[in-house]
Amino acid sequence: MSEKVLEVKNLKVEFNTDRGVATAVNGVNFDVIKGKTVGIVGESGSGKSVSALSIMRLIPNPPGRISAGEILFKGENLLNIPMEDMRRIRGNKIAMIFQEPMTSLNPVFTVGNQIEEVLELHQSHLSSKERREKAIDMLRLVGIPSPEQRVGEYPHQMSGGMRQRVMIAMALSCEPDVLIADEPTTALDVTIQAQILELMNKLQKELGMGIIMITHDLGVVAETCDDVAVMYCGQIVEHADVKTLFNHPQHPYTKGLIESIPSFDSTTGEKREKLATIEGMVPSLFDLPQGCNFQDRCEFATDECKTKEPSLTPIATEHEVSCFNPLK
Amino acid sequence: MENAQAVTTNINKPREEKSKSLWRHAFETIMKDKMAVVSILIFLSYSAIALLTTFDLVAGDWAKEVGGSYTAPSAEHWFGTDIFGRSVMAKTLKGTQVAMSIGLFTALISGFIGVLLGAIAGFYGGKVDEVIVWFYTTFSSIPSIMLLVAITFILGKGLLAVYLALGFTSWVSLCRLIRGEVMRHKDREYVHAATAIGGNDFRKLFKHILPNVLHIVIINFSLQFQVAIKSEVILSYLGLGVQGRPSWGTMIDDAKLELARGVWWQLAAATLAMFVIVLSLNILGDALRDALDPKLKGK
Amino acid sequence: MNIWVYVLRRLLYVVPILLGVCLIIFVLFNVVAGDPTHLLLGKHATARQMAELRHELGLDRPWFYQYFDLVKSAFTFDFGRSWSTKQTISTMISEGALPSLTLTIPGFVITTILSVSLSLLVSFYRGSFFDKSSVIFCVGLMSISSLAYILFGQWFFAYYMDWFEISGYDSGFPNFIPYIQLPVLIWVILSIGPDLRFYRTVMLDEVYQDYVRTARSKGLNEKVILFKHVLKNAMIPIVTYVVIQIPFLILGALLIESFFGIPGLGGITLNAINSSDFPVIRAMTILSAVAYILFSVLTDVLYTVVDPRVRLK
Repeated sequence: MSEKVLEVKNLKVEFNTDRGVATAVNGVNFDVIKGKTVGIVGESGSGKSVSALSIMRLIPNPPGRISAGEILFKGENLLNIPMEDMRRIRGNKIAMIFQEPMTSLNPVFTVGNQIEEVLELHQSHLSSKERREKAIDMLRLVGIPSPEQRVGEYPHQMSGGMRQRVMIAMALSCEPDVLIADEPTTALDVTIQAQILELMNKLQKELGMGIIMITHDLGVVAETCDDVAVMYCGQIVEHADVKTLFNHPQHPYTKGLIESIPSFDSTTGEKREKLATIEGMVPSLFDLPQGCNFQDRCEFATDECKTKEPSLTPIATEHEVSCFNPLK
Repeated sequence: MENAQAVTTNINKPREEKSKSLWRHAFETIMKDKMAVVSILIFLSYSAIALLTTFDLVAGDWAKEVGGSYTAPSAEHWFGTDIFGRSVMAKTLKGTQVAMSIGLFTALISGFIGVLLGAIAGFYGGKVDEVIVWFYTTFSSIPSIMLLVAITFILGKGLLAVYLALGFTSWVSLCRLIRGEVMRHKDREYVHAATAIGGNDFRKLFKHILPNVLHIVIINFSLQFQVAIKSEVILSYLGLGVQGRPSWGTMIDDAKLELARGVWWQLAAATLAMFVIVLSLNILGDALRDALDPKLKGK
Repeated sequence: MNIWVYVLRRLLYVVPILLGVCLIIFVLFNVVAGDPTHLLLGKHATARQMAELRHELGLDRPWFYQYFDLVKSAFTFDFGRSWSTKQTISTMISEGALPSLTLTIPGFVITTILSVSLSLLVSFYRGSFFDKSSVIFCVGLMSISSLAYILFGQWFFAYYMDWFEISGYDSGFPNFIPYIQLPVLIWVILSIGPDLRFYRTVMLDEVYQDYVRTARSKGLNEKVILFKHVLKNAMIPIVTYVVIQIPFLILGALLIESFFGIPGLGGITLNAINSSDFPVIRAMTILSAVAYILFSVLTDVLYTVVDPRVRLK
């Protein structure tokens, strides 16, 4: 049986704005398994990043607020522990890397300094010399050439890909149980993207952490994830293992996403002439329709979809979908 | 914050045309801000008083002797009387006219110079830009108090000299901002599109670029307005201010001889009148800046 | 690129600016302002007296000679003599600088320390009632005329309460201390509004940067984030802001000095304005422009030293 390191249960996050309360995440459930990667996919604003930040309790408050749910890390609810204990978990047991490698590192400290800072915080038994050595080791681990020299450089002296490697080195320096990667490759060139994903896969095998991969890119999902949750308007609309999801998508939205990948047709495997797109727009979080949130963009919508709200229901083992008319 | 923004962007869909929604949104934001609304009301009342005094409908009799010299504030004369027995209240009201006109004309003059030079420098670039940048760098190296003094020496004393002196010495920051913004907008697609359909430079600049930098002009206007009102006091102290009619600056300046005799009301009345309008303009300026251009914060 | 090459290039750029400053001053004082002999000799001067004076002042020479003299004075600091006191202006300047500094340095140091600490505090409690009231406090302070502060302060604290000296100055440490207490206090009140407002914006600009989120995700507490990560980044604009104010310290405080009888450069300038003493006004203008230009070069150079991101172009 696989070991659950993190369980997100019925998470609900609200934001107070000028126009009222927006529920950015509405009743989200997923688990992170040791050594496995769970992908959370969705368009921008679907609530995937907010879910990730909630796990770290990094939702800016105000305006944000986690209004319901539990986040169980090894059985302990992170939402109930004092902030001081939460800080001992951040960067240590649960680490996070962000989308913007250009701005996520502090520009006025050397990269070595920034890695050593994590070690100083969570592994205080190390001497400053040992910390420096470990920082160099970490840089080597993430594939940065001549780390002894690079450790004394500032972020601006490195390329975007290198900086994301530094972020990964920093995040992994305390060997966390869970790594949250929020669009880690979005800001990078395609070739660098592949390298970073490969690196993360490799390090996962070596260190055995569970990864939460937040992305809008199904290509990234296919390459890295074991398990996938598709989010739409703050809710998970489909949840399955990666093979099932790509081969037998049940939710029309998932199918639409897969068909809009600019490579091969999901059924024939041939290169398509024209890209499929999902018609219409994501509804405003203040103006969600009654019933299914996806109804306006769905070609299979029925009257039932317009009145009743679907809920995530198992349709096969390890496969849930939130749709009244799942695809066959 | 990043995520809150992501949520908000999503919330604002579908997007309306950019500039229109910017103004409407800004208007709504300001109307929701109670302090900003109160500031606008205060500004309007001061403007009304200034207009009314211009036509002698209010405080037309400010020069009249209404009591003894330096009578303390009473129910009849809220702010007492001055050395000639004139009502300080009436003088303060009359002074509104000088203050508001100085604010208005200074802001207009400095706005005009700043926009003109900034737009030309940003739009044409090259040598023209270099010369204008050289000019304002040079100009801003000279302390503005010295320029003020020199300009009023040349223009002589009086209200017009004050408008011009204050206007001529306060355009550089706006010019810098406009130059930067125009440079940014110059290469945007809609301007190229205007070139393609044969718009001339003048048309391009005024029709397509300036509307996009208007918010900076407005924010700067409220800033210059209140700075000018405050500067009038310094000019009055230096003996370079307005003559022959009451202004808050001359009233405050008079206090240097009055305070030792215990006459505080003229200083109090003018300072209070000025405090209220300058504070309102400050608050309004901040609200405008937050609503129109969050990027400009603190600049 | 070598830092010295950069400094040299920046200094070369000073030349056209300095020539420009001299040109503006020349145009304002020598061309537009017209003939100063009327001012000096009064209305009843004979033509001959005027001609003699013009010759004495060098006003009968071609304009480019006069302009060249002005430019030369910007480099040699030889500004000639005051019309009203007949002293050499360079002596007046060297005598006035110290009294000015005894007022402005304490005022500046206290204000800077106070407003930087307060700005850290308000950015720690950003968005709270405390933060909002600090903004109102600053704007409120800034909405009162500086002359009103001086008049009221001098009358109330020195005259009415008799806590401080009303006016006067005594040179030499510590003799001057009783005389500068109230002026320094007023200086602090005058400058804390804009300073705190500026530093608060600087801090808040940093607080919302991505690297702050990264620092939080590492498990650092808010205090470390603020004092280590944010402050070090904020030091860049803070240093710039501090350095650019230094020339104004040397030039003193016009109004405060004249009200409190401090014989500094600010007071000298004010007297010159009151008595239309053109050579002194001109000298002070050139001096302040030169100081301002040199310190903006210094700011740029410091910028490249403090900020590791700035690459010399």
